[in-house]
Amino acid sequence: MSNRVRAFASRNLKELLRDPLSYIFCLAFPLGMLIVMTLVDTSVPAEAGVTSFRIWNLTPGVAVFGQTFVMLFTALTVSKDRGSSFLVRMYASPMRSADFVFGYILPMLGIALAQAVITAAAGFVIGLIRGVSLSFPGILLCILTLLPSAVLMISLGLLFGTLFSEKAAPGLCSVLISLGSFLGGIWFDIESTGGVLLTVARCFPFVYCTRSARSALNLQLSFSDYGLPLLITVLFCAAFTALACFVFRSRMRADLA
Amino acid sequence: MIALEAKKLTKRFGQKTAVDSLDLQAEKGELLALLGVNGAGKTTTVRMFTCLSRPTEGEAFVNGMSVLTEQTKIKEIVGISPQDTAVSPLLTVRENLEMMARVCGEDAAGAKAAAGKMIALFRMEKEENTRAKTLSGGWQRRLSIAMALIGDPEVLFLDEPTLGLDVLARRELWQVIRALKGTVTVVLTTHYMEEAEALADRIAVMADGHLLTSGTLEELEKETGETGLENAFIALVERRGGNE
Repeated sequence: MSNRVRAFASRNLKELLRDPLSYIFCLAFPLGMLIVMTLVDTSVPAEAGVTSFRIWNLTPGVAVFGQTFVMLFTALTVSKDRGSSFLVRMYASPMRSADFVFGYILPMLGIALAQAVITAAAGFVIGLIRGVSLSFPGILLCILTLLPSAVLMISLGLLFGTLFSEKAAPGLCSVLISLGSFLGGIWFDIESTGGVLLTVARCFPFVYCTRSARSALNLQLSFSDYGLPLLITVLFCAAFTALACFVFRSRMRADLA
Repeated sequence: MIALEAKKLTKRFGQKTAVDSLDLQAEKGELLALLGVNGAGKTTTVRMFTCLSRPTEGEAFVNGMSVLTEQTKIKEIVGISPQDTAVSPLLTVRENLEMMARVCGEDAAGAKAAAGKMIALFRMEKEENTRAKTLSGGWQRRLSIAMALIGDPEVLFLDEPTLGLDVLARRELWQVIRALKGTVTVVLTTHYMEEAEALADRIAVMADGHLLTSGTLEELEKETGETGLENAFIALVERRGGNE
């Protein structure tokens, strides 16, 4: 990693860690949802057959939900920079478009990883309180499985932050967060819905992110449960990362035209 | 030796011509003040020299390197302080400087030393651990200029650097800029005539994207028959207006 990427990534990490809102949205809100939905689970009668809020399903779901906020903060950071003279200064420096892209992605990936670890730890503790022990290999595999979806969300944030203004980007990301939590099957079992809803959900990456993370945590490692959703997540990740890099490079060229 | 050269440099934005066939030169180590009323084309000229905007026609050279074909090399030897303050708001003064030094190629130890040098030069010792966001406008501007200087640029572009500074801060900054003369080629855009008078070796006056004239203060006074830069500037701009 070049000196320039390290310097820019470190700057972005500090900017994010010093913004109190990032703790509220990237950490407190997902953890709050984990606790609230666990309480909801205790209120749902067992005969209702609702399994989405069981801690072994809820923890990976909330981890994916949390990643959507990393997307929001990536979009905010990029759009804010683009709207300020700071990026003009950086454009006039020897930084290249790849330096910018890595400089944005790497610190956000660190945040997403820390978020996944904290969510998994919270899920483990809540599980113990409720008399369920989440397996360590499952937790480790789940955290690793969440990496492609983290890169996917960061790339989406980079894409939105590059294409839209500081005012428009967060609003559009909020739409995507709502869409992601709804179509990702985080709060209900989307697989059991069928019909148009399931067809639409399968056109977006969120359902695969949730499914692969859940299968990893529960060590259900068959191709249909784990391999296929993970493969689709990786493909979405590769496509959107390439698109975000291309769009950032194009916009940088247009800015310098 | 010529450090900056524009040959028929032109920039158009759609139908509007921001800079029109500009021919301009600056010697190495010289401080060139670029004057003009709003919309004269000063900032666009600076943007083309710093590879932030590609010329529509013509060419510009920085230390003999073309802005069309040697952008990466040019970016390694120029520094710019943009018109608006360009700092990272949640980083401290020192962190901003160290970050910029590392972007310019310094390692961690070199960046620390370079930041210390700038903090001393701009008398920012008390503010070095203060986040940029909480600094006053004047201190943010000082930091922004220090960030432009930290990579030891061979050519420095200061786009209205003293805008918003109080008189004491302005004078202190003048001292810093004066100290650069002879070693760093400086292009200074400003609306303050006394600033150009106090600092510039040569003055170029622009209006509507055209270079009206360039020369020393004495040459401008002689050309217009006026005394003082402000009178000479007004005469030049009004003459241009009358000719249209």
